[in-house]
Parts: sequence; C-alpha cells; structure tokens
Amino acid sequence: MSLVKVEKLRKYFPLSKFRRGRFVKAVDGVDLNVEKGEILGILGESGCGKSTLGLVMSRLELETSGRILFDGKDLSGTLRLNTETRRRIQIIFQNPYDSFDPRLSVKTSLLTPLKIHKIGKNDEERLKIVAEYMEKAGLIPYDDFLRRYPHELSGGQLQRISVLRAMMLKPDFLVADECVSMLDVSVRAEVINLLLDLVESNSTATMFITHDISLGKYVSNRMAVMYLGKIVEIGKTEDIMNNPLHPYTRILMSYSPSLFKRIERIPVEGEVGSVVGERKGCYFAGRCPFSTKACFEIQPSLVEVEDGHHVACLEVEKQL
Amino acid sequence: MDEVLVIENLTVVYTKNGKRIKAVDRVDLKVNQGDMIGIVGESGSGKSTLAHAVMGLLPSNGFIAEGKIRLLGYEITRLNDDEMRKIRWKEFSMVFQKSMNALSPVHKIGEQMKEAVIVHEPEIGETEVESRMKKVLDMVNLPHRVLKSYPHELSGGMMQRVMIALALINNPKFVIFDEATTALDVVTQGQILDEIKNLVERLSLTGMVITHDIGVVAEICNKIAVMYAGRIVEEGPKEKILYDPLHPYTKALISSHPELAEGGGRMRGIPGNLPDLSKEIKGCVFAERCPHAEKICFDDRPGFVKISGRKVACFKIKEVEE
Amino acid sequence: MKLKEFWKRYFEHPYGVAGFVIFAVLLFMAIFAPLISMGKPNEMSGDILSPPSLKYPFGTDHLGRSVYSRIVYGTRVSLSVGFVAAGLSALIGIFIGAFSGYFGGMVDEVMSKIIDSFLMIPVFFLILIIVAIFGSNLFYIMLVIGLTTWPRNARIMRAQTLSLKERAFVKVAKSLGEGDLRILMTHIIPNGMYPVVANSALQMGGAILAEAALSFLGLGDPNITSWGKMINEARTYMAFAWWTIVFPGIFIILAVVAFSFIADGLQYALYPKLKEVEESG
Ligand SMILES: Nc1ncnc2c1ncn2[C@@H]1O[C@H](COP(=O)(O)OP(=O)(O)O)[C@@H](O)[C@H]1O
Ligand SMILES: Nc1ncnc2c1ncn2[C@@H]1O[C@H](COP(=O)(O)OP(=O)(O)O)[C@@H](O)[C@H]1O
Ligand SMILES: [Mg+2]
Ligand SMILES: [Mg+2]
Repeated sequence: MSLVKVEKLRKYFPLSKFRRGRFVKAVDGVDLNVEKGEILGILGESGCGKSTLGLVMSRLELETSGRILFDGKDLSGTLRLNTETRRRIQIIFQNPYDSFDPRLSVKTSLLTPLKIHKIGKNDEERLKIVAEYMEKAGLIPYDDFLRRYPHELSGGQLQRISVLRAMMLKPDFLVADECVSMLDVSVRAEVINLLLDLVESNSTATMFITHDISLGKYVSNRMAVMYLGKIVEIGKTEDIMNNPLHPYTRILMSYSPSLFKRIERIPVEGEVGSVVGERKGCYFAGRCPFSTKACFEIQPSLVEVEDGHHVACLEVEKQL
Repeated sequence: MDEVLVIENLTVVYTKNGKRIKAVDRVDLKVNQGDMIGIVGESGSGKSTLAHAVMGLLPSNGFIAEGKIRLLGYEITRLNDDEMRKIRWKEFSMVFQKSMNALSPVHKIGEQMKEAVIVHEPEIGETEVESRMKKVLDMVNLPHRVLKSYPHELSGGMMQRVMIALALINNPKFVIFDEATTALDVVTQGQILDEIKNLVERLSLTGMVITHDIGVVAEICNKIAVMYAGRIVEEGPKEKILYDPLHPYTKALISSHPELAEGGGRMRGIPGNLPDLSKEIKGCVFAERCPHAEKICFDDRPGFVKISGRKVACFKIKEVEE
Repeated sequence: MKLKEFWKRYFEHPYGVAGFVIFAVLLFMAIFAPLISMGKPNEMSGDILSPPSLKYPFGTDHLGRSVYSRIVYGTRVSLSVGFVAAGLSALIGIFIGAFSGYFGGMVDEVMSKIIDSFLMIPVFFLILIIVAIFGSNLFYIMLVIGLTTWPRNARIMRAQTLSLKERAFVKVAKSLGEGDLRILMTHIIPNGMYPVVANSALQMGGAILAEAALSFLGLGDPNITSWGKMINEARTYMAFAWWTIVFPGIFIILAVVAFSFIADGLQYALYPKLKEVEESG
C-alpha cells in the first residue's frame, strides 16, 4: 500500500474576491502515489502548481476537490489533524530566513516541536537530541548556534537547521519545496546531503520539489513532470532521464543548462502562463511542436508506456 | 584593436558603517575582440562590483582605490561623469538581473527605447528610430507590439528580452550580462541564451557574462574567469576550466554541481564561508577553506602561473594537479 | 536582535527623538509629582490670580492654587487617560484583528462587519451620552474611549495577520504541530503588533485631547485635577490672567504633539521606505 495516495486532486484559487466564478487552476486533477521511503522528484517551471501540490499534500492548504489518503486514512476535506498525524507529515520551504520566527532563538525554535510531540522527558534530554542532530549537520559547537537568532546564521546553516527541525520528528512523509534554490551552489551540497542522510536513515518518503533537472535527477528515485497543474509524465528517474516521452519533458530537458551534454534544442513558442476557466484538450497543445488537431480536443490522461512509466500525451499513446 | 577590455591591478573598495570592504582586490583581466568571458563565483565574490566598475556605475559608497580600466580605447578611470554618460549605453552597455526596476512603470516600452536612442543621437529621424527598435526586437524574438506595452504587462522573460534589446539598440561593441537570466525559467533561460549566442556571432559582440551558474557559462562563453573573495583565481578557455579545473576553488565549485555526482556518488560542497572582506587577507583568499593549504598559502599572495593553457593563482598547483 | 535595530532606526528620526524627550519629561513629572510640584495642587493660598513668580512659576488661579503644581499633577491624569484608553484599545484591537484574520471565513466576515460599523461611531458624541447617563467619572471616560477606538487597531492587526499567515514560519509551525492558539500568541501577535503600537501612540494623544475637551466643556470628572478642567475654570479670568489658561494649554499641546511625534518615529522605524501603513485587508 502506498504511504500517500492522491486521487483527482484539484486546487483552484479564485482570481479575485469579486469575480467568484473565475479560478486559477493551480492543481488540476492530480493522481499520485508516494511509496514508503522513496524520493519522488516533482519537476516543472514556476507557476505549474508544484508548491500548491506540496502545501495541499502536507495538509497546510485545503483542496478544492479530490482525495488524499495518508497511510490508509482519509485526510481529505480537513486541515485539523491529530498531533500524531501532524508529526508524521513535515515540510521544508525554500527561504530559510522566512522559515524561522525572527523573534525566537534557534534553541527555542528547535525545542518547541520536540516538546509538543513529547519527545524526550525533559529539556535536558531534548537538548541532547537536538545536539546530536546539530552535530550530524556539521553545526559545531552546537550551543554556539543554538544561542543565535535566525538572521545571525548564513542561509546554508539555517537551511540545514530547518532540515533537522523537520527530521527530528521522524516524519514518514516529507515535502521539500525548492529547499536549496535560494542557496549558493557551493553550500547546496551540505543541505542536500544532510537531507538525504536523514531521509534515508529514517526511510521517510519525500516529495522533492524542484525546477532544476540535474538536481532532481541527483536526488530522486522517481520523477513527475508537471505542466499547468497536471502531471504529464511520471516514472523512474532513469526512465525519465534516458527515455523522456512527453514533448514537454523533452523540451524541458533540451533547454536545461548542462556542463557536458549538448542536447539539440526543441523549438517551442510562448511561456507557461496559467489556466483560467474551462479549456479543452491538452494544456500544452498550443505550444507543442508535435500537436495535432486531436490534441486541442481531447484531454490526454496518464497511460503506462513501460513498467511504472506513465505519459499523458495522445501522440505517445498512438505509437504504443 | 584586439584587446577590447584591459583591467589592470583593479581594486574597488566600499565603505560601510566605517568599514572598508575590498570587493575587488587587484584584479587583472583582458578580454579580446569576439570573446564572451564568463565570470563565475559564489555570491558576494565581487562579480557585480567588477562589472559596475567597468561601466562606471559604482554606487556612491564604492570607489576605485587603485588600478586602470581601458575599455574600447577609453581610460574609464580617468573619465568624468559627463564623458562617461556620452559613451555608456552607446559604446558599451549592461543587462541586469532585476530589470523591472530599471524601467519607468508609467511609460510605454517604445517611448523608453526611443529615448535611449535620442539621448545619444538627437538628430536621428523618426523612421530610423522606428526601424532600429524593430530590428533589435526581432533579434530577441519579441513581437513589435511590445513597443506599445507597459513594463508590468510583460512576463519576466519578455522583460529580460526588452532589456537586452535596450542594451543593444545603440549598437554597442561591448555588453555585460549580469545574472541576466538568473530569475527565469529553464526554457526561457535557454532560449535567451541561444539568442545571446546568435547575437554575439552576428554582431561580433564582445562581452562578459556574470553568473553564479556554471551551466550558463558552459552554454555561451568561450572563456571563463573564476572569482573568489574579490580575486580572480583561475582564468582560461572554457574547456580547460570546466573539464580540467586546476585551482582548488574551481575544482570545488565545479564538483558542487549535481551533474558531477554521477554513479551514486555524493555531491560535494565547499565547507566554510567567504572570508570577511573588510579584513586584510595576506595570503591566498581560499586558504581557509582549501584542503591543500599550507603555511605559505596563509602568508603570501599567490601570483598567476601559466600552466596547461590557463592562468592559475595557487602555490600548491603542482600537488593539486596530481 | 531585531528590536535593537528597531530602536536604532527610531532614534534616527528627529521627530522620534523629540517625541521621546517630551514624553520622558512628562513621565518624570507624573511619577515624581510630589517631589517637584512645589506644594499641593489643591492648596489654596491668599495669592489669588498672581502672575508667574519664583514661588509660583506659572502663577496662581482664582482660588489661589499654584498653576504649576496643578499642571504637574494633571500630568498624571493625562498620561493615565492616554495609557489606559489606548492600551485597552490596542489590546482589544490586537486580539479581535488577529483572530479575525487568522481564522478567516465566517468569523472574519462577521468581525469585519462589526469593525466597519464601529468605525462609524462618533466617539466623542458617545462619550457625551455616557457621561450624561452615568455621570462623569475618569474611569468611565477611559473605558469608553478604549472600547470605541479599537476598530482601527483591529483593522491594522487583521492586515498584519493576513500577511503573516502566508509566511513560511507560520506554515512550518502548523506543520510542526503547534496549535492555532499557540501560533497566534507566539508568532502572529508578537510579530504583527508593531504597527498597532505605532497607532496606539497616536491614539494616546487623541485620548488626552478627548479628556481635555470633555473637562473643558465642564463634563470632566469633578474629583480630579486635569489640564482640561484648568482651562475650563480659567475661561472667566483669562482676559486678565493669561497664565491660568496658557500653561495648561501648552501642556495639552505638548502631550499631543509628543505622542504624534512618537507615532511618526515608530512608523519610520517600522517602514524603512516611509511607506504608508497598509490598512485595508
Ligand atoms: N494563494 C494563492 N492565491 C492565488 N493564486 C495562487 C496562490 N498560490 C498559488 N497561486 C497560483 O497558482 C499557480 C501555481 O502556483 P505554485 O503552486 O506556486 O507554482 P510553482 O510552485 O510550481 O511555481 C500560479 O498561477 C499561482 O499564481
Ligand atoms: N553598495 C555596497 N555597499 C557596501 N558593500 C557592498 C555594496 N555592494 C556590494 N557590496 C559588498 O561587496 C562584496 C561583493 O559584492 P558583489 O559585487 O555584489 O558580489 P557578487 O556580484 O559576486 O555577488 C560583497 O561582500 C558585498 O556585500
Ligand atoms: Mg513554488
Ligand atoms: Mg551580483
């Protein structure tokens, strides 16, 4: 059984307070399973709904419709989770400086969640747990860091602390939303490697949201590519990287800057935009260099093309 | 004229809260006609400061403490503000990352582009301006209708293209791109990089690309200078720097790229932080974080050595190479 | 910490400094009134309506009371009216605004309607009615001012809450298992209340002025020495004893100006780019 199972998940945002009929479809019918212990990369350009999907799945934002099953329990329709379920689902955001209450010391920020979840009998014990994690994260001497306030730390240090803050609770499901995109290349590795170490040793299923293909490839076992609120392709990382099938995935890869590979660029028009109101057919058809008339009429759904590799494209389907 | 830009022994200092921050520290650099040189390094290493010094656009608390900049035959460091204004944007220009702030929100793009031409060529005819604007828009794949748009009506990618068009409208011979595609999405960034590559060839532009992303440099540059804490530590042809880096910092920077962690290996970072630029650094700027550092590295500043087709500033280069 | 930076910015602002200095003097007067008042405020002497002198720095009134001593003691009244009324207003505003913005939905709709209707109440008129019904009592006056001026604070706090709610650290707190009440008390309110504090400084001036106006109209608390009451009593004599009215007048103005300067300084420290406070939600 999958740890997290998402069915026909939708999240629409009203365009404005006054025009209630019109919506931005940030997440538009996503079906997705996250297996225990796996790292699932979510790839896509900005505005395609990655963050919204992450917020909805970590139960910080209510869905418009659809179902979310977590470890067999139906969590749809409510953000009121019991403390234990809250502990089991954690999230890490992009901006470390925004992820900490600026008024609280690192120590307070780290001890509070342990206290809430009754981990450790007293503050002394909790401090020991914190110290252990701080040392794993290379933040030594730990008490020097604990005394400080968020703005007194570098972005890389603070992001490592936000990783360990989430992982101290030993969650079963973690959403990491662009967790290194604000950081300098030279400090990304420290954060990513810490995340991988902790996630692997705790077999935490992780949804790794990123716009960086090479990073997604490095981190994840499986990858999903999103375009305008939908998953257009999903599969094992090797399959996606070696045999990308959806035109959008192929285009994305052809434009991804690389130190080595020179992939022939696939010409494409326009920019991502967003979907407002009803739209027929494949959302990518308008920009797709391979689209046919049918693409503008029929909305493709994910079809399995090889073991665990699903693609939502009529043209790919035809060739099966 | 083969050498378009010559920077000699350039030091730029900022004063802030009574401190002197040496953002560029005795930098030497030459850019030849037709070169597109990438300046790479983590943020805070002085890349933008170097670019601003070349453009004569340092903020009021920054000044050139020593050194010379010769660009297209002009001694930039000797020119006064008026003389600079006459040639800036005409002979050489720059594209910034935050382009939104560079344009007035209440005027149409077309008006602002026209203004940019007229400042330098007051006599120019209406039709000539019109055709020139259209020509540069074509170069960056923008439809002519953007001339009638206001900045806020355009997407990030389109705005960045407008900025490139603006930078090119007076046919400059030298252009600096400072993180010009950093905030953009993969596809848009790739497209703009392609456009820049084409322009460089078509207009035989010379330029400088400033970025923290070595992927970008790999795409469009033929030379690379690696900058760290205000100094250039390694400089040479792209292939040499990317595929056979010699300076420990270059090595570390390149191996922190996820693409290099193939085959189940872990990505490697660079432990530690940039040194405090308000303190005098006697030795090598990277010594604190360098796995090869010895006493001499902390005591003396390494000069450039020419070695296998590039210049490196490192005492331990022989050991590092092995 | 950030607080240090905040005050550093505050004292960069000339108005902020001026406001603080005046306020410090007034506070000193209020606290140490018995030591510096050179006599009791209600002590009558034979020197009726005598002009300023060494013995009576601000002269005496029609009952021979020292204007200076009365002003010094009046500081206590004015400052407590300011503090209690604005404090009450801030407290109510902060809680209602934070709850309304945080929980949203129906709670927010209803609260916003209440806030909007309260904003239309003519406060001074309401005070007049209360005084007419319940009689004049300083405590009532402070209470009424506090209970009627909170909606502005609530609006400011609501806007703050709406933007804080979107901040990652609030979302993280929720994900870490912190309850709504804890999030409100430890994250939203402490991080969002500064603009309310700035507004409260302004409201303190307003409350002081309201009390003075009430007393001037003869509707003040009869058991208390206040600046407004001094002006009211001096009306008859001001033609030949200017000091009876000018000094209390000066102090009312000083206090109001001080608080508005402080509000300016706080605004400046809060919004580095001198932006206007975003009030609407
Ligand atoms: N709170 C919100 N209110 C209104 N629209 C939103 C909100 N959050 C996201 N959106 C819109 O939903 C779409 C998807 O956004 P997001 O999930 O942030 O994408 P990504 O993380 O992939 O960049 C965008 O068009 C965005 O403007
Ligand atoms: N206007 C300024 N005033 C003071 N210090 C500055 C200013 N601009 C940049 N610096 C400092 O100079 C150093 C180099 O900055 P910069 O040239 O922007 O680096 P980069 O472009 O490589 O990120 C940094 O330490 C930065 O903090
Ligand atoms: Mg996002
Ligand atoms: Mg820069």
